[in-house]
Amino acid sequence: MDLPEIVRPRDLADAVRLTGEGGKPLVGGTDLFVRLRKGAERPPFLVYVGELPELRGIHETEGGVEIGAAATHVEILSAPATAQLPILRLALATIGSPALRHMGTLGGNVVNASPAGDGLVPLYLLGAQVNVVGPARERSLPVEEFVLGPGRTALQPGELIRSLTIPLPRDGAHPYFRKVGRRQALLIAVASLGALVWVEDGAVREARLALGSVAPTVLRPREVERALVGRPLTVEALAELRDALSSAVRPISDLRASADYRRRVSGNLLLDLSSLASG
Amino acid sequence: MTRRSGGESDPIVGTPVPRLDAEAKVRGEARYADDLAFAGMVHVKTIRSERPHARIVRLDLSGVESAPGVVGIATVADIPGENIVPIIYRDMPLLAAGVVRYVGEPLALVAAETRDAAREAAARARVAYEDLPAVFDPRDALAHGAPPIARPDAADEGNAFNHMVIRKGDVAQGFAQADVIVEGEYEVGYQEHAYLEPQGVVAVPEDGGMTVYGTLQCPFYVQNAVANVLGLPLARVRIVQTCTGGGFGGKEDVPSHLAALAAVVAWKLRRPAKLVLDRSEDIATTSKRHPGSIRYRTGARRDGTLTAVEVEFYYNAGAYQTLSSAVLWRGLVHAPGPYRIPNVKVDAYSVATNTVPCGAFRGFGSPQVIFAHESQMDELARRLGMDPLELRAKNALRVGDETATGQVLTESVGLGACLAKAREISRWEEVQAEVAAFNRRERFKRRGVGVSTVMYGVGMGAKAPLLDKAGAYLKLEADGSVTLAVGTTEMGQGAETVLVQIAADGLGVPVGMVRVAPVDTSRVPDSGPTVASRTTTVQGMAVLDAARRLRLRIEDAVRAILGCPTFTVAGHRFCHPQDPARSVSFAEVARWMWTRNWDMGVTGWAEGKPVDWDPATGHGNAYFVYSYACHIALVEVDLLTGETRVNRFWAVHDSGRIVNPATARGQVIGGIAQGIGYALMEELPSRDGRILAPSFTSYHIPTARDVPAGIAVAFVEAPYSGGPFGAKGLGEVPLMASHAAVANAVSSATGGRLRAYPAIPERVLDLVAKGA
Repeated sequence: MDLPEIVRPRDLADAVRLTGEGGKPLVGGTDLFVRLRKGAERPPFLVYVGELPELRGIHETEGGVEIGAAATHVEILSAPATAQLPILRLALATIGSPALRHMGTLGGNVVNASPAGDGLVPLYLLGAQVNVVGPARERSLPVEEFVLGPGRTALQPGELIRSLTIPLPRDGAHPYFRKVGRRQALLIAVASLGALVWVEDGAVREARLALGSVAPTVLRPREVERALVGRPLTVEALAELRDALSSAVRPISDLRASADYRRRVSGNLLLDLSSLASG
Repeated sequence: MTRRSGGESDPIVGTPVPRLDAEAKVRGEARYADDLAFAGMVHVKTIRSERPHARIVRLDLSGVESAPGVVGIATVADIPGENIVPIIYRDMPLLAAGVVRYVGEPLALVAAETRDAAREAAARARVAYEDLPAVFDPRDALAHGAPPIARPDAADEGNAFNHMVIRKGDVAQGFAQADVIVEGEYEVGYQEHAYLEPQGVVAVPEDGGMTVYGTLQCPFYVQNAVANVLGLPLARVRIVQTCTGGGFGGKEDVPSHLAALAAVVAWKLRRPAKLVLDRSEDIATTSKRHPGSIRYRTGARRDGTLTAVEVEFYYNAGAYQTLSSAVLWRGLVHAPGPYRIPNVKVDAYSVATNTVPCGAFRGFGSPQVIFAHESQMDELARRLGMDPLELRAKNALRVGDETATGQVLTESVGLGACLAKAREISRWEEVQAEVAAFNRRERFKRRGVGVSTVMYGVGMGAKAPLLDKAGAYLKLEADGSVTLAVGTTEMGQGAETVLVQIAADGLGVPVGMVRVAPVDTSRVPDSGPTVASRTTTVQGMAVLDAARRLRLRIEDAVRAILGCPTFTVAGHRFCHPQDPARSVSFAEVARWMWTRNWDMGVTGWAEGKPVDWDPATGHGNAYFVYSYACHIALVEVDLLTGETRVNRFWAVHDSGRIVNPATARGQVIGGIAQGIGYALMEELPSRDGRILAPSFTSYHIPTARDVPAGIAVAFVEAPYSGGPFGAKGLGEVPLMASHAAVANAVSSATGGRLRAYPAIPERVLDLVAKGA
């Protein structure tokens, strides 16, 4: 494969300028190189942003954590600041393989905008903000508004992700993440369910659910979230909402699974939240 | 049979000698096909058919020839010899002439200064096709009025490349005697070899002939194919195997085709020509395991005694014969399983379709039918209310029994011992109880245990006895080190280590003194292919033959040096029996021989014991000996998702004497991993003869996390008189047994019955729904 030229920017402003000229930002390349090899994308050159200080680092902020777009999954998993975000760690630990987690970044996972993006599921649950820099201004938008569809984002030409700001959830959230497929690693989810559930006096006080690979983007089934409130986390109580969740998803059939299977499994996984009651 | 005087040094056969090729591979120093470069070398890309069945109306390569970096092109007109890749039949052209029969069939070749230039140039080919009716399913291909795909001179009838039978006893009577009859249809799809190193060759014109270096299993096949397309005598064609990163059968026949393609370019351009496939071209256009449909019927008495088996199965061979007749024959012989069955009827068909030719893959036509026969045994056990291990033990072949082909087993049948050992090491009763307790306790998970027993005919068998031979050349160097040349190949299976152990043990030298030369067709006689789990047995006998001859010569020298008709051995020194102070080392003996102009080279030769076959009845001594195995798998199924995980595995093998327990254990664990993939995840969908996603993104093979940490491997060694130190074959057997144990475990866990591979979560969830 002939790689496009890789340019190393002097600083963030330079990176923005180069991106504006059509350069494609590169850090780990775990998704990008696959696309280049397929010819799905033919940028004139690549902009290696992996060493820009503004894109690096994982810091605690007022009420949250800010993660540089070029932070790798392994860096995020081992950063003390993310100890307060177990749902993020649960999800990132399932990405690819050790090699991919060492190279790949959460910023890349967001910009790749795959409905199967394991990193996106916790970001949807936590209401993360995507901080974008561009030639004109910096802006910040919720991840749900940033991701528009499979591989499509709100990034304008010349813009790149600088960081992600993740608000800390209220105390007491039970985290849940489960990814479904035919093997234990190096797996693109056929369906996934992430959840944050707060339980009080044996009943759900608040529930957030996010599903991957069952719609054009990661999906928050808000009606089911609301319907969970007040219910106990028992199999029987959850089973009453199984069909509602199966109808909330909008899956397709592809080589990995049928739409029908994805629908069934989405509903079934809801029952698995009963494991949170004991854990 | 002379054995060296014995006791003088520690035995080497039977010890876990570390893999001799491991260090170079781990260090990254091993040189694979794509690592080779020659001055003036061009890179070749194959221009391939886009259509499954079509007449080529026009092949316009003007854009290809004028593309940047292009050195030249080659078409059918540039083939100096015959436009045929000879394998078993002579039906497959090197380059399609007039008609294409599968998507990916080679049409022409382009050579360029770089690989990228060759690829880009190839994309500029303009081909005008006139589509012909195409069929992709064997049932359609055999239907009345189906378009002819098979060449009449390469097919038994119509598109049935081959129809083979076994007729033993009277199945109607056998089923009439049965108290219980089970019946099922089983479906399996492709399995891709997924060797680490893709296919690759470099053809180098030299000395008026052609030398081809490549990643390959069967150098003598390649030599024959290259000589045929170049129209050269075999002596002008030399094949050198490069370090080979896996084969599993995928490098049995395919390298013949690729080497011949590269050789035609090299011959025309008079420049070295490299042809290396990238992964997607490799998956899309090279051989894989035959998809199969198997209808199976088994009858038994109430006490579990088998009375009859009736099997009809169809393998999708693809557009050309390649190895399908041999694959089918092995499937035929193995279809009844390792059991005593008085009445057997098997009909086996391999069928031409407009798909990529299927070929050899570890197990060679047997895993498909093993899935069926082992599923049947479990269905039968359930119907009879019998323990599945006990049902198998009751019917398992023993010494003195007659196989389904009427062969009386005279020695080395360790099947009963395998079953007993498997029961013991798995703690069979306790495991069943633990599983039952788990299943009572868990709401959304179910565990299941599955058994599988197999037999495996070692060697080429009665379908191709001419190929069951091997040559070896041993050369004692002046310093006492030893060079060994063999005609069979190391492809990652550990052959080099095992053969060196046999040579070292036969000679009485340490392993470190023996070095294996690269396999080169110019060094040793045609040794047949490296397939059929025959290397340790047949090549090992040739090495032992050479070692014994050389040892006799060395002992003559020792007697001459010591001036004494007898001698003793201590460590690696030969001593005068009366005067131990008078002694001579192995190296000193070698030096002595060298200074006196002794002949220090010996050849060894071996061939498999006689076999015979009557194709009309399917009677005969199909193979000279059989290996056996019993596998037990414990799986856990998630009832919410259908995901299946293999938690534990127990594998017991009789492959005769185990030459190297460490490499043998590696073979078994690798075969278990491959079987887990076959049973649970590997799937290569195609539409209209086109492989839809030829990449590892969607073709899932097991990762380290999908293979259980708890694998217990044991060997029961029933020695075989025709193998070196009593060894039989092992290579293919672990894969053959493992998948069926996993499949039976899935059925047991779900309460349903798995009748199609792979048991992906979606299919398992359906089983759960049906089993509930």
